[in-house]
Amino acid sequence: MHAESIEYIKFTTISPEQIKKMSVARLIVPDTYNDEGYPIDSGLIDQRLGVIDPGLRCKTCGGRIKTCPGHFGHIELVRPVIHPEFAKTIYSLLQSTCHSCHRILATQKEAAEVKEKVAEIVSSDELDTATVLSTIEEEVGKGKIKKPKSVKKCPHCGAQQRKIKLERPTFFYIDSNKMKADEIRDWLSKISDDDLKLLGMDPSATRPEWFVITVLLVPPVNVRPSITLESGERSEDDLTHKLVDIMRINQRLEQDIDAGAPQIIIDDLWELLQYQVTTYFNNETPGIPVARHRSTRPLKTLAQRLKGKEGRLRYNLSGKRVNFSARTVISPDASLTINQVGVPQKIAEVLTIPLYVTKWNIDEAKRYLERKEYPMVLNVITKEGMRKRVTEVNREELLKLVEPGYVLERQLVNGDVGLMNRQPTLHKLSIMAHTIKVIPGRTLRIHVSACNPYNADFDGDEMNLHVPQSLEAQAEARYLMQPRDLILSPRDGEPIMALQEDELIGIFLLTREGATFTKREACSLLAGVGVTDLPKQASKGKYSGKAIFSMILPKDFSFDGKLGGEKISIEKGELAEGTITVKLVGEGNGALLIKLFEQYGSEFVNTFILNLSKLAVAVSAMMGVTVSVKDYYNADQVNKELTAIIDGTRKKADELLKKYKEKKLDQLPGYTRKETFEIEVMAELESARTLAANVLRKYVGPENNTQLMAMVKARGNILNFVQTSMLLGQQAVRGRRPQRGYRGRVLPYFTRRDNTPEAKGFITSSFFTGLKPVEFFMHAMGSRDSAMSKSLVIAQSGYLQRRLINAMQDFYVGEDLSVRDAAGALVQTIYGGDGIDPSKEKLSE
Amino acid sequence: MVKTPELILKHEILSDSEAKKVSKKYNIGLDKFPRIVETDVQVQKLKGKPGDLVAISRKDPTGNYTYYRLVVKD
Repeated sequence: MHAESIEYIKFTTISPEQIKKMSVARLIVPDTYNDEGYPIDSGLIDQRLGVIDPGLRCKTCGGRIKTCPGHFGHIELVRPVIHPEFAKTIYSLLQSTCHSCHRILATQKEAAEVKEKVAEIVSSDELDTATVLSTIEEEVGKGKIKKPKSVKKCPHCGAQQRKIKLERPTFFYIDSNKMKADEIRDWLSKISDDDLKLLGMDPSATRPEWFVITVLLVPPVNVRPSITLESGERSEDDLTHKLVDIMRINQRLEQDIDAGAPQIIIDDLWELLQYQVTTYFNNETPGIPVARHRSTRPLKTLAQRLKGKEGRLRYNLSGKRVNFSARTVISPDASLTINQVGVPQKIAEVLTIPLYVTKWNIDEAKRYLERKEYPMVLNVITKEGMRKRVTEVNREELLKLVEPGYVLERQLVNGDVGLMNRQPTLHKLSIMAHTIKVIPGRTLRIHVSACNPYNADFDGDEMNLHVPQSLEAQAEARYLMQPRDLILSPRDGEPIMALQEDELIGIFLLTREGATFTKREACSLLAGVGVTDLPKQASKGKYSGKAIFSMILPKDFSFDGKLGGEKISIEKGELAEGTITVKLVGEGNGALLIKLFEQYGSEFVNTFILNLSKLAVAVSAMMGVTVSVKDYYNADQVNKELTAIIDGTRKKADELLKKYKEKKLDQLPGYTRKETFEIEVMAELESARTLAANVLRKYVGPENNTQLMAMVKARGNILNFVQTSMLLGQQAVRGRRPQRGYRGRVLPYFTRRDNTPEAKGFITSSFFTGLKPVEFFMHAMGSRDSAMSKSLVIAQSGYLQRRLINAMQDFYVGEDLSVRDAAGALVQTIYGGDGIDPSKEKLSE
Repeated sequence: MVKTPELILKHEILSDSEAKKVSKKYNIGLDKFPRIVETDVQVQKLKGKPGDLVAISRKDPTGNYTYYRLVVKD
């Protein structure tokens, strides 16, 4: 039976009696192994605590290395010490009780009131501890519940209360006299059960005197295994070292007490014992020095094992290492579809996939098992679940054994599924199921169009490959995770995998108005995508690009549309009018791709994207698309207009400055005069770039390849072009003109209060002409500012994203389109309020 | 109390039988519904008691739909 819901979990402290009961050995020797290398009895590696050496048997349970779970031992401390993690609790208990009669510092009546009040808060349906505590806190603040700390005189015995001080981590003082741990323990043990209930403790589970350690629980050796170095030398775990320290001090303390040593010496040792125990629990306890190993390395004690990124929780429990995976650098491969991944032979030889032997595939299985080279079987798993490595020696024998129910682990072959993943894994498209194609080389290959969802490029990016093992996992991957089925983005339903960069140039050059190719060229282009027919000639010996493109369209496909003023018309598989652009086949729009996806399905679009990209790249290679400095020599007319723009902008800025100085500037609402001037002059100066862009558009056409790239949205935009060949324009720091640096000026080059465009980061040079030193400095200011704010924004939004993902990670959309959480509780009655899946929204059905 | 009705979503307390129907429709107990505190202005206006199920009609640019909240103690 399993519990439907957990009502509560209770954490309590462990009592000395319980420790003794669960302990199998009282440890008294502060050492591990004797000279013969044998564990010392009653030492820290006592054989009753479990076995870690192979071949030995546990003296407690008789189990072997894999079967003995380990057993706890204990150390009896000669003098008690404070448990450092409970020091605060002890402090408030001491403050709340009388030092003389150990009763709570409240009268019967007050106590009853408090009790009632607390019970009321606790019982009021509020299951959340935090809210209960904050409510109580509130009531205390209002004075409805009295703080015992403020009581001067004990209401029970009338004793004057003394001041208790806690010096972190574990030292207590009463009226500046040091309190010893045994006094504290004595005091705590005298607090009555009834008073404890009033103080918020459950005496049936925890007695406060247990916060002072008299018996120390020693974890089994399995928790702190020693390691044998190559030299045969043993190296003990940090915890064992720490426990040895504790026991050594404990022993010395005992001897000194027995020998009747002076009190000062005993107290010193006692304090040392307290230190050792404190660092045993947490070696980063504030206020005390860190305990170190002989090599001056800080010891990793209990708290350090669990805490933080490298601790047990985050490193070993939330994150695990996996088998059946590979990682290497990625590189592009134009011959793969977006659905494929190229896996290096070397990886394919190591990764395996199980072949479940049935009566239907036993012949195939045996054929694999017979093989002595590449696609061969590496392991055989018998019906009993025994995994045997296949070797030359046992192959024949295994062949005879294999029957339905066996599992053969064979090397990867073409057609297997593999999950590709690139970190950071931000959305579902960061892990997709590709069909494996084994290739030579050392890198994983993906199609460039599959880069976008992974946000990958090939400047050294690495990706992980996982091979799903069970048939269920393989099927799930194939049904839900293949890139070809995920071409349309879950964000807006537009293609997320589409043509890019020079593919866009190529397809533009191919299909633009009047583009014709010779028979030779047409054959070469079409053969590259596996088309063996030629389209109809446009004129003698000439084939139009549109006709060539049409050859990879389905013969019954028709499409009509108007995109940004440009008409496009495809009739029965013939591109009759219009040019293929980003809007049809690019990321984030791609109307043509959506239509094809809808009519012919994902498999078709998969090969269509491959063919289209091959064709396009072949065209741009044939036409020779390149950029050169030639692109950035302006025509005389362009330079003339550029000078006019700069002069005009300067003049306008001067006018604004004059108006500002004469206080004739109309103030913008909510801004000072100075701010108004800055805003207006900034707008004026920034417009220079836009004006320059218009000039470029007017005079430079697609014969300039830089302009061509920007026009077809392959790479770069007109602003980049402007900055390269015309002017850099106004630089901005924090969205304003650069202001700071020296008093009243950005650089000592300028005079104070110089408000001209040049003095505040207006750059009239271009990257092509080169920047003047002052301009260079202004540009560097703007660049640094934008680099800083960019990295800040990324860090912030990344964290926000992570928290959202963590909060919503186990929500799911049910069959009725309602959103539920892991417990099945309702989150939304209908997904998104409308039940729409954006990735299917743009499809007509 | 805010008195701009067009900005206030329509709140409605369901009768026991209606609540049972809704609970059955989503195949969950009342405790698995999102919550609303009894001190909520709309709940007070309708004099809702803890344990009542409130139906709220939401208007979105993309569509209108109803969702439910269980009245709980503050």
